[in-house]
Amino acid sequence: MMGLIKGMGVTLKTMTKQKVTRKYPDEPMEMPDRFRGIQHFDPEKCIVCNQCVRVCPTDCISLTGRKHPDPGKRGKVIDTYDINFEICILCDLCTEVCPTEAVVMTQHFELAVYTRDELFKDMGWLHENDSKIRSVNNVNARGVKK
Amino acid sequence: MDLDLERIQPNEEEELLKRNIMTTTLDNVKAWARSNSLWPMTFGLACCAIEMMGTGAAHYDMDRFGSFFRASPRQSDVMIVAGTVTKKMGPLLRRLYDQMPEPKWVIAMGSCATAGGPYVKSYAVIKGVDQIVPVDVYIPGCPPNPAALIYGINKLQEKIRYEAKTGKKVTDR
Repeated sequence: MMGLIKGMGVTLKTMTKQKVTRKYPDEPMEMPDRFRGIQHFDPEKCIVCNQCVRVCPTDCISLTGRKHPDPGKRGKVIDTYDINFEICILCDLCTEVCPTEAVVMTQHFELAVYTRDELFKDMGWLHENDSKIRSVNNVNARGVKK
Repeated sequence: MDLDLERIQPNEEEELLKRNIMTTTLDNVKAWARSNSLWPMTFGLACCAIEMMGTGAAHYDMDRFGSFFRASPRQSDVMIVAGTVTKKMGPLLRRLYDQMPEPKWVIAMGSCATAGGPYVKSYAVIKGVDQIVPVDVYIPGCPPNPAALIYGINKLQEKIRYEAKTGKKVTDR
């Protein structure tokens, strides 16, 4: 009997409180700024240093580059850049090593698909995925003030 | 209905029968009922299970979509494979899937269930749960946050309704 009264007390107390449930599918979900979603890639910034490929713990990134088309300039330009998002664990290491902030994280998490093929993201897809980019990315990147 | 029954080829008919899809308006009603009462089986294997539990709790509240976790495969419609499936666990997963009554669906939650995730080079992990059971929705992430799981469940509901309405597979569109 005591337990019942106690339980009803809790029920009555919480009845007047505000609901904690988020209205997610009806209202868009705001993620915190440091949330790690799928990457955004900028081919203009990439210098084909291959560091993201080497650091990736699951080897899900693959890229190819070629010599700069302008013979006067040194360095390379990116040809293909693919992320096999099936096995990407969103560890952020590719963003941390990138010296030019070519690959950064966005806050997109709505990525469920019907086939595994759709999870293979190529350069075009990653370049178009340019909304909701994290404001704080690699502080050690070139051209970013500390 | 926009599907012409005369045009169904014999081999397609068999497939439709196997998938339990008939092309009537009754099917739309059934799909509506089924998609709004997806009872997932509690099948947590690793850290994704924590996010799955979080989805069931007050802040995300999966009960809003008619999804109640069941402890038995015989009472559930959808299996959310949340976590790493090792080769030792594989036969058990298959048995639990076989014990579920038709119609049944599978959601592969997280990188491990989709493709092996960080264990993609391991000798003891199944690289993708679709090697043993047919998967309907894949949710990438390590682990996917509860909102991503809700998105995946909504995607499965959309699939059920679409397939009943048009009689076509959702992957063919």
